[in-house]
Amino acid sequence: MPTDTRRITGPETSRSPYDYCQIEISKEENQNELIKSDKKRKDGRLAAQLRPIFLKANVISQARGSSYIEMGQTKVICAVYGPREVMRREDFSLKGQLTCDFKFTTFSCRQRRQHQQDNQEKDLSVQMLEALEPAVCLHKYPKSQINIYATVLQNDGSALSAAIMCASVALATAGIEMYDLVLASSLGVLNTVLLVDPTLQEEENIANETGKSPQNAGTMTLAFLPSLNQVSAMTSDGQFLFDMINKSMQQCIENCQKLYPVLQQCLVEDVKEKANLTHA
Amino acid sequence: MPLFKTFKITQPKEYYEKFLEKDVRPDNRELGEFRPTVLNIGCVTTAEGSSLVKLGNTSVICGIKAEVAEPASDGKKGYLVPNVELPPLCSTNFKPGPPSELAQVLSQNMVDFLTDSKCVRLEDLCIVPGKLVWSLYIDLVCLDFDGNVMDACTLALMAALRNTLLPVVTVDEDSGEITTDVSIHQKLSISKCPVSTSFIIFDKKILLVDPTSEEEDLATGALTIITEGDNLCSIYKPGGTPLTDTQMKTCIDRAFLRGREAERLIEELIDK
Amino acid sequence: MAAAFIVVRKEDLEAQQNAESCQTLRCLTSELGCLTRSDGSVSFSQGDTTVLAVSYGPAEVRINQEQYDKATVEVVYKPKVGLPRPIDRKREAILKSTLEAAIVTSLHPRSSISIIIQETEDLGSNMACCINAACLALLDAAVHMAFMVAAVAVSVMEDGQIKLDPNKKEELEGRATLTFVFDSADLKVVSVVTSGTFSQEEYKKSIDLTRLAAERVFQFYRDSLSKKLMQSI
Repeated sequence: MPTDTRRITGPETSRSPYDYCQIEISKEENQNELIKSDKKRKDGRLAAQLRPIFLKANVISQARGSSYIEMGQTKVICAVYGPREVMRREDFSLKGQLTCDFKFTTFSCRQRRQHQQDNQEKDLSVQMLEALEPAVCLHKYPKSQINIYATVLQNDGSALSAAIMCASVALATAGIEMYDLVLASSLGVLNTVLLVDPTLQEEENIANETGKSPQNAGTMTLAFLPSLNQVSAMTSDGQFLFDMINKSMQQCIENCQKLYPVLQQCLVEDVKEKANLTHA
Repeated sequence: MPLFKTFKITQPKEYYEKFLEKDVRPDNRELGEFRPTVLNIGCVTTAEGSSLVKLGNTSVICGIKAEVAEPASDGKKGYLVPNVELPPLCSTNFKPGPPSELAQVLSQNMVDFLTDSKCVRLEDLCIVPGKLVWSLYIDLVCLDFDGNVMDACTLALMAALRNTLLPVVTVDEDSGEITTDVSIHQKLSISKCPVSTSFIIFDKKILLVDPTSEEEDLATGALTIITEGDNLCSIYKPGGTPLTDTQMKTCIDRAFLRGREAERLIEELIDK
Repeated sequence: MAAAFIVVRKEDLEAQQNAESCQTLRCLTSELGCLTRSDGSVSFSQGDTTVLAVSYGPAEVRINQEQYDKATVEVVYKPKVGLPRPIDRKREAILKSTLEAAIVTSLHPRSSISIIIQETEDLGSNMACCINAACLALLDAAVHMAFMVAAVAVSVMEDGQIKLDPNKKEELEGRATLTFVFDSADLKVVSVVTSGTFSQEEYKKSIDLTRLAAERVFQFYRDSLSKKLMQSI
């Protein structure tokens, strides 16, 4: 790899100390039991239970709209800039342009990530864009662009759905006209078990099972427009039986509906805060 | 739009002058007053050390990832690799892509900050001389760019270093096999606590401490002083309006005051 | 093309120096107009530390760099080997804002004044050498300046002794190195760049020492320029 002359560089090669851990065996034991005998998951949740959510709007003073979300240990911050002018003239379009930039910070995962956007991040950017685009009234913003930047500060699973919801709140606080809020929910499936809002470890365990014997082994993320009752995007990894896809989607939609009041409340509080500021 | 806002946008300098005549800033601060400083440590559990610093609106998150590497020729020194990211998320000033010039200068400032103050001895990062050393990747991500990112970065950097816990790594002498024990953790030994204090020069005469980005845009010069206990670690004044010795002295005195304040803040938080 | 080549003798400097400190600048040499195609150029050395500085402008400016009320000052620092790294970017930033303070940028709105510095040999006090060379290059190009700038470095040794205009060895052995830039108008502090730790007293001593030496640098500027002008007549 060519050295990056624009950054401070360290040694040529280095490895995570956790590569040399000797607890592989105990890990193996737990692998197959995502749900323990007391019907609870490793973090103490039931299979269909979401993690506690913390959501706050308007966290970045420089952005037009922004928000911060915590789902368990998954932490995502998102900023929206625009509508602003399109720099290149050849990019002229009567419809507004929406761009999405998804980035993991280098310290957000167990293994250190690189500074440059890698393929997974590019992929997630596109998936995020596809989920959000149907909800934004782009025809109201001719010749302009709206930029969404999402940064994962810590990844503990379901980062994509957290980022989509975070961006949707940020778009709303930016005053961008939208048809509906976008909600998103992730689901991990192993055989007949549906795990709502999976953690990173659950996601990894399921990924390990993919391609082996089980019938179902995969994760799914679905974006949902609640008041229109429409699905704006759905993406899945791994293998699903046809019936299971249906069932999983139903479960995701249900979860999204559960989350709807959280987002609404967050926006109401934001409006109240803004009203207080203008009064004072 | 209220009249004062129009005035602020069309004639920002005159707008500021109106306030500074009365020795107060538009955000209700005195000229030598810092914005409220909020410090949070251990906020990212995937990192070996982490911290979040807020100076008013400006916020910087710091995460330290530790990796093991072979040492350079001299064999005993570990690596400290600080990088400052100014992503397009934090302000309209930055575009996606490789680090901007400002980000590069800030990254270099962090290197100088660590080497000048010697707050982490590189020899302390040695695991087995000549074979294995720690490489600490210190990444500082600016989340909200509202001026004085330098002070926020240095504070975040110090807090994260103090918060860093490394797993115990051993190397088998015969086989050279490396093993990591995650059940025990060790702290970095850090005895010093350097603190930076930044100023801007407004209209070639007035000194303002802890500038917001609006103030930075209007500045005719900038100055950063890093203190460590009773010593000076760095005085960095890149050009701008020339200052007299008395003005410099005033800044240095203010920096020492801030140094003790910030040191106490970190100390209190670590003790908790 | 007239080239001025002048050497300030060490003995001359010593006589002028504070007798107590017995400190001297290393030999200053300059060759103004060493490149023929540029608006201003100088090959400047302080002792064995040598840089080449070139200035262009006021000239056309890139549209995204344009400022409606003043000239844009651009500085490019070329390291001796390899591509520029963050440390070179920091040098550029220091040079840029130092020179911006000296140049009367409001005289040339919507244009660019660019300075290119090529590091030739870094044997101590490199930053000071770069700033002095850049100032000479601007003078050579007859760019309007509010004042001249002179940079002088000192190293604080382990025992607290202060060495003026340190060489590479002294820089490495020293506890701290401080570089000061003064303006020619009232000898106020334009820039300060330091590395290592030092006390307030050491700072005070250093600034007094360098201020004295800065006057010698200004005198050197005058001598070099007059020499060049004499030759061109």
